[in-house]
Amino acid sequence: MDSAGSFHYNDQEIIKQLRQSGIDKRRSEEQLFNRFAYFVREGMTKHALSEDESFDAYSDTILAALENIRNEHFEARASLKTYLYQIFHNKCVDLLRKRTTHKNSVHRPESISDRLMLLTDTARSVVQKMMDQADWNLLREKLDQLEDKCRQMLTYWGDNYSDKEIAALLRYKNADVVKTSRLRCLDRLRNLYKAK
Amino acid sequence: MDNLDYIESYFTDEPDPVRTREFENRIESDPAFAEQVAFYLSAFQVSGEAARIVKKEHFKEIYKKNHIAGPGPVRKLVYYMAAAAVVAGMVFGIYTYVKSVSPKQLADRYVNGHLQTLGVTMSGRSDNLQTGLRLYNEGRYEEALLQFEKIIRSDTSLFTAKEYAGIAALRLKEYNKALSYFEQLEIYNGLYANPALILQAVTLMERNQPGDAAKAKQLLKRIVDQDLEGKELAQEWLRKL
Repeated sequence: MDSAGSFHYNDQEIIKQLRQSGIDKRRSEEQLFNRFAYFVREGMTKHALSEDESFDAYSDTILAALENIRNEHFEARASLKTYLYQIFHNKCVDLLRKRTTHKNSVHRPESISDRLMLLTDTARSVVQKMMDQADWNLLREKLDQLEDKCRQMLTYWGDNYSDKEIAALLRYKNADVVKTSRLRCLDRLRNLYKAK
Repeated sequence: MDNLDYIESYFTDEPDPVRTREFENRIESDPAFAEQVAFYLSAFQVSGEAARIVKKEHFKEIYKKNHIAGPGPVRKLVYYMAAAAVVAGMVFGIYTYVKSVSPKQLADRYVNGHLQTLGVTMSGRSDNLQTGLRLYNEGRYEEALLQFEKIIRSDTSLFTAKEYAGIAALRLKEYNKALSYFEQLEIYNGLYANPALILQAVTLMERNQPGDAAKAKQLLKRIVDQDLEGKELAQEWLRKL
């Protein structure tokens, strides 16, 4: 069962809620996840995936959809169900392909940050080249080594939570305090990463 | 750290042509600065990836809890039994539907159906709110209420803690306390899903004192008129009351 705020919404209401900011946005993510969770069973019957594989495909579908809904890439031309099922189907096919070609999982985050795209071509290629040389596993490892509060703060930041939202979630006095602490954590992460 | 602040402002503040030129020239001419920009963006991506992993773990918890995929083909018998139960439920449902339903019965059904367990937060780490949620989900309502009240004392602005404290009080049949918390929720206008009014209505219907049903009905009408959280449920209940 869900918490008190879980009522049945139509597509437009779900999309509206997912796009709004606020400390309760996780609840709308859970609602979306629960609504189409029966896809997992379809992945098992139609694509002969194991339950774990099908669950992976479904949760990746939800994460991709959340990103697309929030950055307005989803234009609601099709119903949410059709849109999600299309992504889910592609994820299942990808999984089957990976299974047959024995590809190892890629540790580098898949999508190119929207922020990188803000740079013009020349500057972007300089930065991109340096990012390509980054040791992503090491960076992830160092992120895990940060103290709880720092790691949580950076994780929320990576999930596009505003400093105001982080302040409410982690009970900081205000957004300014979060920003200062977050940048300090980022600096600490950098020092850990450089020290190897 | 100064550079990190400067780098972040470039990516998050409104674009400014002069500053953009200056920033990008610096990337091209100063490798140490370019490296810091690359680190900032890499850290952002790795943090985003970490968030995705935490979310997937959280989804897994929800999924396991709800047993959404159901059993495999070898356990088809369970489906048949479930189907039989559904048919029996429908027969019972039709029977009870044609009978008049009291506000208390509606509230009971809601509390037992929707407030049995509360969703846990994403972090997966030991945080005070999560401890309260765990206690609640284990049926330890008194301890959960104490935990939520402890959080409220340390930060009176925390919406979620007040909502959960009210729900825990409702489960303990401490109706006045529950109402007080749900009334406090009303001030949080900025939230997209504020269940303050529907929870007040449920509490009044559960308390069932003289005049409570009428007050609950007024609240339900307000929810429908103002298109607030729980509108569909309010409409359904208004039809039945």
